[in-house]
Amino acid sequence: MTSTINWRHLLLWAVFLGGLALMPQFVTRGTLRTFIFANYLAIFAMSWDVLSGRTGYVSFGHPFLIGIGAYTSAILSYRFHVPVGWSIPIAVATTMIGGTLFFLPALRIRGSYFALVTLAFMELMYQLVQVIRPDLTGGTRGISGVQTLLRGAVNNYYLSLGLMGVIAILLWSMMRTRLGTALSAIGMNEEAVEGSGLNTTKLKLFAFMVGAAVAGIGGAFYVHYLGSIAPRALFDVNFLFTIIVAALLGGASTIIGPMLGAFFLTFLLEYLRPLLPGAERYFIYGLIALLLYMYEPRGLYELFHRGRARIFGGRA
Amino acid sequence: MTFILELEHVVKRFGGLVATNDMTFAVYKGESLGLIGPNGAGKTTIFSLIMGEHKVDSGSIRLHGEELTGLPTHKRIRRGIARTYQVPRPFADMDVLANIEVGLMPDSLIEMLVSPFDHAEGRAIARSVGLAEADLHRDPAELSMGDLRKLELARTLATRPEVMLLDEVFAGLTSGEIAQISGLLKEKRQDGLTYVIVSHDLRSLEPLIDRAIAMTQGTFVCAGSYQEVMNDKAVRMAYLGH
Ligand SMILES: Nc1ncnc2c1ncn2[C@@H]1O[C@H](COP(=O)(O)OP(=O)(O)OP(=O)(O)O)[C@@H](O)[C@H]1O
Ligand SMILES: [Mg+2]
Repeated sequence: MTSTINWRHLLLWAVFLGGLALMPQFVTRGTLRTFIFANYLAIFAMSWDVLSGRTGYVSFGHPFLIGIGAYTSAILSYRFHVPVGWSIPIAVATTMIGGTLFFLPALRIRGSYFALVTLAFMELMYQLVQVIRPDLTGGTRGISGVQTLLRGAVNNYYLSLGLMGVIAILLWSMMRTRLGTALSAIGMNEEAVEGSGLNTTKLKLFAFMVGAAVAGIGGAFYVHYLGSIAPRALFDVNFLFTIIVAALLGGASTIIGPMLGAFFLTFLLEYLRPLLPGAERYFIYGLIALLLYMYEPRGLYELFHRGRARIFGGRA
Repeated sequence: MTFILELEHVVKRFGGLVATNDMTFAVYKGESLGLIGPNGAGKTTIFSLIMGEHKVDSGSIRLHGEELTGLPTHKRIRRGIARTYQVPRPFADMDVLANIEVGLMPDSLIEMLVSPFDHAEGRAIARSVGLAEADLHRDPAELSMGDLRKLELARTLATRPEVMLLDEVFAGLTSGEIAQISGLLKEKRQDGLTYVIVSHDLRSLEPLIDRAIAMTQGTFVCAGSYQEVMNDKAVRMAYLGH
């Protein structure tokens, strides 16, 4: 954990983002749509990583937060005709309030208990959305015809890429500060952080707020891209695991890791689609994730690093 | 002579087990106090109670005459007391210097975001406990037990404690390392540090302490100079069985 800027690192980032920026020149509209999903998945995975990857409080209920963001903005704009310039910020703020709810169990419990409670949050939300005020939420069928922000795959691609890029840069800058170090330290040994004179409750709350804000931004923009929202697809265990596996597969506790993981998974699922149309695809990616995890628990990011070191020399 | 740390009628039960049974003692400012007792006597528990990692069932713990019970651990540390752990558990994925720097952080989110890392201070503390410059960018997993104990001391010293609770700082060390850490503790005392030290290594403990307190089964046995305590009949019973 050095705090001097690593220029080779920056160069890699520039190549990565530059390559993504040129993407619409080379691929079909259909592939571009896949990329748009990958960008949003990357946002969700980064959000999960801030909240869980760093602090070690593993959330199994991330769609709960994403859902608050998406539903709030969709309801405000579709039912109450609130302009998206307002509905999105309100949605983000509401998601942060949801993040506080998430935080309450973290005051008392850790590990698998915390994971289970957050899973219950997601399930509860799934049930409630369908029965409470279906006139607002659209019940089981959800809402369609939500206002979209931009037209066309190219525009939406750039929007999602821009969002992902800005979020990545902000999170990266935050993680380089003493605060970022302290958050990572909580995941390694919470007692010792408290024993260093730091209020771990405050630190965890901050991590949860940032994670929730990112989930809210992602959820709100995503719903205004899709133009529709349905509880079945959102509060879904497959969706949840896609987020978690993306973060872990790419390399938790890094910024680029969850992004790499999101792209890898999205395209893996996409290319498996013609071969395995059903849910078996998830089995295959689970297997790949497991193999990679056994072989290199630090994820794709570390493999990538080692590959680079083998070719160019330098740090392995 | 004034007391810096006072315990009065402190009781702690774990289920049916009375781990701390009505303990009362005080530590003078600038003193080095040895806390001795056989395995399971309740020494570590007392440290956890003083730091607020366990809640007392009853009794009072005061630092500078002010009540600590009810304060969370991080606030107690800001009042000038800190402990080391019997089993060092450093931040595994951070290098040695970063580990120490966690102890140097201000407890304010804004300040943590905007103030730079204090590498110079981190290095100085590392040097003061005898960690080599070459070790600063190692992972804790690569360190020897002796260096792990030094790292534990360094991270704790970084919080600038006036009173330090040292739990088995000699366990698993070579005689050379013991001498080094003893030397360090003597130095820190000259700088005004007060400490309570727990060790099974009585020979290393003896030259370091002004006074000793013996306990067994959560209960106070006796207090006095090292010789007085070791000659005490009850202490000999608890330790040697005769
Ligand atoms: N968290 C806990 N829950 C239940 N019992 C505990 C807990 N911590 C300690 N104990 C029990 O309290 C008693 C005192 O333990 P403690 O660790 O304080 O002893 P110690 O004097 O430090 O021993 P050692 O010399 O082996 O380190 C022991 O019987 C131990 O099993
Ligand atoms: Mg002990």
